[in-house]
Amino acid sequence: MTNHWIDLKNADVILAMGSNPASNHPISMKWIMRAREKGGKLICVDPRFTQTAAKADLYAPLRSGTDIAFLGGMINYILEKNLYFKEYVVNYTNAAFLVSPDFKGPAELDGLFSGYNEKKRNYDKTTWSYQKDESGIALKDPTLEDPNCVFQLLKKHYARYTLDKVTNITGTPKDKLEAVYELYGSTGKPDRVGTECYAMGWTQHTVGTQNIRAMTIVQMLLGNMGMAGGGINAMRGESNVQGSTDQGLLFHILPGYNPVPNASLPDLATYIEKNTPTTKEPRSVNWWSNRPKYITSYLKAIYGAAATKENDFGYGWLPKLDVGQNGSWLMLFDRMHQGQFEGFFAWGQNPACSGANSNKTRAALAKLKWMVNVNLYDNETGSFWRGPGMNPKDVQTEVFMLPCCSSVEKEGSISNSGRMAQWRYKAVEPVGQSMADAEIANELYFKVKELYKKEGGAFPDPILNLTWDYGEKDAAGKVKHIDIHAVAKEINGYFLEDVYDTKVEPPKLIGKKGDLVTSFPSLQADGTTSCGNWIYCNSYILKDGKEVNMMARRGKDDPTGLGLYPGWAWAWPVNRKIIYNRASVDLQGNPWDPKRPLLKWNEAEKKWVGDVPDGPAPPMGTDGKFPFIMKPDGVASIFGPGLNEGPFPEHYEALECPLEENSMSKQRINPTIKIFGGESDAFYSCDSRYPFVATTYRASEHWQTGCMTRHCSWLLEMQPQNFVEISVELAKELGIKNGEKVIVVSGRGEVEAVAMVSERFKPFKLENSTVHQVGLTWHFGWQFPEDGSGFDSANLLTPTVGDANTMIPESKAFMVNVRKA
Amino acid sequence: MAEMVRKSSSDEIINHWIMALSCILLIISGYGFLFQIEGIGSLFGGFNAMKTVHNWLGVVFVLSLLYSMGHYFKDALEYDDDDRQWFKVAGGYLSHKVKVPPMGKYNPGQKLYYLAILAAGIAIALSGFAIWLIQDNAGLILLAHLVHNLAFCIFIIAVPVHIYLGTLANPGTFQIMVNGMVPLELARKRYPKWMKAAGKM
Amino acid sequence: MANDNTKNRKAILVTPEVCIGCRACQVACKSWNQLPGIKTKNNGTYQNPPDLASAAFNIIRYSEVPSDKNPVRWLFVSRRCMHCDDAGCMKICPAPGALYRTKEGAVAFDRDKCIGCKLCVNACPFDVPRYDVEGKVTKCHLCFDRIDAGMQPACVKTCPTGALRFGDRAELISTAKKDGFNTIYGEQDLGGLGSIYAFKDAPKLYGMKDDPAIPSSVIFWHTVLKPFAVAGLGGVVAAAAIHYLTVGPHKDEEE
Ligand code: HEM
Ligand code: SF4
Ligand code: SF4
Ligand code: SF4
Ligand code: SF4
Repeated sequence: MTNHWIDLKNADVILAMGSNPASNHPISMKWIMRAREKGGKLICVDPRFTQTAAKADLYAPLRSGTDIAFLGGMINYILEKNLYFKEYVVNYTNAAFLVSPDFKGPAELDGLFSGYNEKKRNYDKTTWSYQKDESGIALKDPTLEDPNCVFQLLKKHYARYTLDKVTNITGTPKDKLEAVYELYGSTGKPDRVGTECYAMGWTQHTVGTQNIRAMTIVQMLLGNMGMAGGGINAMRGESNVQGSTDQGLLFHILPGYNPVPNASLPDLATYIEKNTPTTKEPRSVNWWSNRPKYITSYLKAIYGAAATKENDFGYGWLPKLDVGQNGSWLMLFDRMHQGQFEGFFAWGQNPACSGANSNKTRAALAKLKWMVNVNLYDNETGSFWRGPGMNPKDVQTEVFMLPCCSSVEKEGSISNSGRMAQWRYKAVEPVGQSMADAEIANELYFKVKELYKKEGGAFPDPILNLTWDYGEKDAAGKVKHIDIHAVAKEINGYFLEDVYDTKVEPPKLIGKKGDLVTSFPSLQADGTTSCGNWIYCNSYILKDGKEVNMMARRGKDDPTGLGLYPGWAWAWPVNRKIIYNRASVDLQGNPWDPKRPLLKWNEAEKKWVGDVPDGPAPPMGTDGKFPFIMKPDGVASIFGPGLNEGPFPEHYEALECPLEENSMSKQRINPTIKIFGGESDAFYSCDSRYPFVATTYRASEHWQTGCMTRHCSWLLEMQPQNFVEISVELAKELGIKNGEKVIVVSGRGEVEAVAMVSERFKPFKLENSTVHQVGLTWHFGWQFPEDGSGFDSANLLTPTVGDANTMIPESKAFMVNVRKA
Repeated sequence: MAEMVRKSSSDEIINHWIMALSCILLIISGYGFLFQIEGIGSLFGGFNAMKTVHNWLGVVFVLSLLYSMGHYFKDALEYDDDDRQWFKVAGGYLSHKVKVPPMGKYNPGQKLYYLAILAAGIAIALSGFAIWLIQDNAGLILLAHLVHNLAFCIFIIAVPVHIYLGTLANPGTFQIMVNGMVPLELARKRYPKWMKAAGKM
Repeated sequence: MANDNTKNRKAILVTPEVCIGCRACQVACKSWNQLPGIKTKNNGTYQNPPDLASAAFNIIRYSEVPSDKNPVRWLFVSRRCMHCDDAGCMKICPAPGALYRTKEGAVAFDRDKCIGCKLCVNACPFDVPRYDVEGKVTKCHLCFDRIDAGMQPACVKTCPTGALRFGDRAELISTAKKDGFNTIYGEQDLGGLGSIYAFKDAPKLYGMKDDPAIPSSVIFWHTVLKPFAVAGLGGVVAAAAIHYLTVGPHKDEEE
């Protein structure tokens, strides 16, 4: 989230699209309801009339996978009706930037951007760049008239997304489309703010990243970024998924969003050079120019004294990706399926049900020599060898179960979607022999280290040099129990030497050796500070000589009245509740909307009042800095050359779709997605065997694959079985009765479900066809309830294909058939 | 010692007391339920126990009531002119001066009382069993509840009258329910037709 | 049996308009009351368990009604004991203390005192009470134990949206009216309910009875038969006494 949960109450218009907050993020609805009480309007756009739709002031259906068409139409509408916030757009975005005249877009190239390489399915992005002056600063046209300026290119690109075109793609009735556009477009006024809530309904598409990009463009045009009640809000599906991403859970990022090095970057200097953006723009903060400090402090945190200037602070010990290697979920399991893995730790996950194309995943597990299942319960993954279609005698995988304890049985922090890290305490002792994950890691680490010590091995250094100072050690040198506070402090970071600010005379002491670092501006690139994750620097600080765990704070004051609660727990970065908040003020530092004074410049005291500002620089009009400090140009990117498909989102159909043609262009599918060619990866478009669009989703009562919730009889009571929601029209066509058991089939598998026939799903009327859509929950699995009454996972149906940037699997739009069981 | 005649067999007496006692206990516990009287509840060892007692005494009561049909039912159905006349003089209970016609073994008041108790008893038993045993039928249970209470109203009137008439109002009668015997002298006065039929007059 | 505590009467205000059907309330109630999970199956609806049960003191009723602007209108309505002021269940209950009025004006139960006669469910206008395996009454008790400890009812505490609110009954009603809800269901019915509903439309739409009433046989029994059972007994005993004293016992006249 750029904003945070409570902030939803400050919105005038809330667009829930790609999400179903009422079912899946009920707490968010608390704040959405507060907004509505004050006259705010909730818009719900969803293929199905959901619980959120039931509460919405305006509901519009759309066919799964057509969000870009829908949002493209909105951008077009905003531009055509002049609803955008011009002052904001000119000053805070790259709308005025001039793009290379060689750049061509789908309007000219029939669905493609300039630089496409059909064989490699990727783009040469050279033309996707700005025109620059001699000093290297991008050329701009503040009048937004230049035909090569971003604004004009945007206009040209989205002029094709007319109401008629969009209706025919999305199946949304035209009056509904217009109503949504008009209502959301009304937030382009300075005193009106709109926010967007999305979840997996946007990300789990082959165009997932571009779905979100399209919305950021809307938000920038309307001046909603950085505002209280605005922003783009990813509602994370798990209480700590934000925290785990922050701490480097994904294959391509180290803690603090530092990229994982690849083999082409042999030393720290090249890594830094490659990954540290530069800018010639004097008024851009270009925060990532601090990369050297963050990566060095990170290396010092993990390798301690062993990390020296001479050995590149241990950079060589970091694992490297091959150039161009993708280690995302789909790729891992594809390789596992090809027998390229020996062992696998399924730690806190249930891939046999959670991953796309579960039959393939389950088959992949059988190719392993060993697997360790670390979980609260045995699950479909740990028991895959005795699952449906498996012959235990043929499976050679040795499976180990390590029971871990639940969140209430251990102490530590969780970081919610609003980037707020909150400390939690242990409520009860772990059940049986279960252990906290950190304790399991401790045991494992010590054993592995022992083995390396004894037997040497290929590359022992990364393990042997790892710091592990998390508490008292026994005679053998093993940490007896992990002190989770020691971990939190290591993440925050320490001064390893007395550190001075040498820019002033005489040099001023910033921090004493051994003290906790107060915040990331103090971090150094010379190895004199350590910090496990720079964005968490300031979460555990030294105050008046005492160590203070900022995440454990419980202050209930709300000085701005906007629900920032600065004294409650702690949000990264440096307790800033709304990022890019300097975009919420005009050039003089006055809030765009005086009713929502998130920040205000106090000229007399020369300081900002309100939220923690994005940097202390004075307002733009008084020689200040650009507000989008993480961007090299200092402004938000309407033109976004970073993504693989192109700088402007373009509508493509899902890999499996019901249409012969994409009516936008002759490019039916995303031209840059990876196509898996294996037998188990089959996909079928416009195939009479799989005539209906399907999507998967969650219900309030269960969580993810249901591994935790299916074991809770109270929850199972409310939602005991997998179900498939079907329109009355389709049910009639298929002769299916409500409550009857049916089988849903895709090109990859089939799953049983109870048919829920209702008016909440409606067929989509497209240009020359009617498309039926169905939807299923993916909470169930064969292993529990033991009698199989819950049925199996809907992921048996989903295809092996991912987003072109993130490789998140496409589970929100694919093709199926439904038949009576 | 005056000569005695047997009016009730020991079988009849035992059954009467089973019926009477169970009935009285049912009335008392019924009162306890009706008005939620804690004192009555504790008499039975709490309301839970009282419920069990009430329900099973109900079984006892209705069985003995049915058994009693062998003793009284036939008599209770037969009426003659004297019986009609008996009503005209209100059984002689309102004045000792009126002339009461000669009676058989039971006077019509007793016979009607028996029929009333029989009908109300069967009704209260059936409805009681319904409340006790039926699970999910709101209509039926509510009906049973109503019938149970209507029948109770009959009991509440009839039983005390019966007790009064069997004791204070008719000295010497109570003994019949102890040993079944009536002095011949008295029997000749009170039940002349029965005595005649028995050849003792 | 009018409630003596009408003055400081507390209530739960249910506002389906802001209920999102998340059912946190169902779980919270089960958790607080440590009720077992019920083995259910999906019947083609989200509603589960299908109705109140001995282990389900509250449920969300999901109903689809026609709408002029959307494919359908989907309503989520919390169903639970209404804590009637004139409570049919209490009226008919033969066991003292099995159902009782709490300080807050709610109708709670004491399963030790309940004799399991099952009369209450039949006298309840809302078909609320249920029986556990031992045949003892169970139903929502407005969390009197939590209220005593200064807490809110578990379901209210958990409700994220404010669809359930607990507080002073009179205050809840006046705020609901101020918020523009033209129908306050239960404001007057049965002497005033302790679970009140703020509706925008007719109660029927939300699955509520138009004129909830205690069954007439129960009323008749209560107002006629019960007094008669006292008067009748008193009457015959008095009549016997008068008879004994005035007319006197039967005399067998000498022949
Ligand atoms: C013959 C079989 C009978 C059965 C099976 C029976 C059963 C019941 C039952 C089930 C109840 C409800 C409360 C409870 O469960 O205890 C009840 C209540 C009651 N019974 Fe009976 N009963 C019987 C006979 C009688 C008799 C002979 C009387 C009195 C003459 C009587 C008087 C009452 C009264 C007054 C109540 C309370 C009514 C109320 O509160 O609704 N019952 N009986
Ligand atoms: S709703 Fe039913 S159970 Fe609840 S108080 Fe009213 S009558 Fe009693
Ligand atoms: S079942 Fe229990 S609570 Fe209900 S009426 Fe009977 S005794 Fe009272
Ligand atoms: S008030 Fe208490 S008992 Fe009643 S439904 Fe709510 S949680 Fe359950
Ligand atoms: S917890 Fe509140 S919002 Fe959720 S279903 Fe219950 S009443 Fe509705």
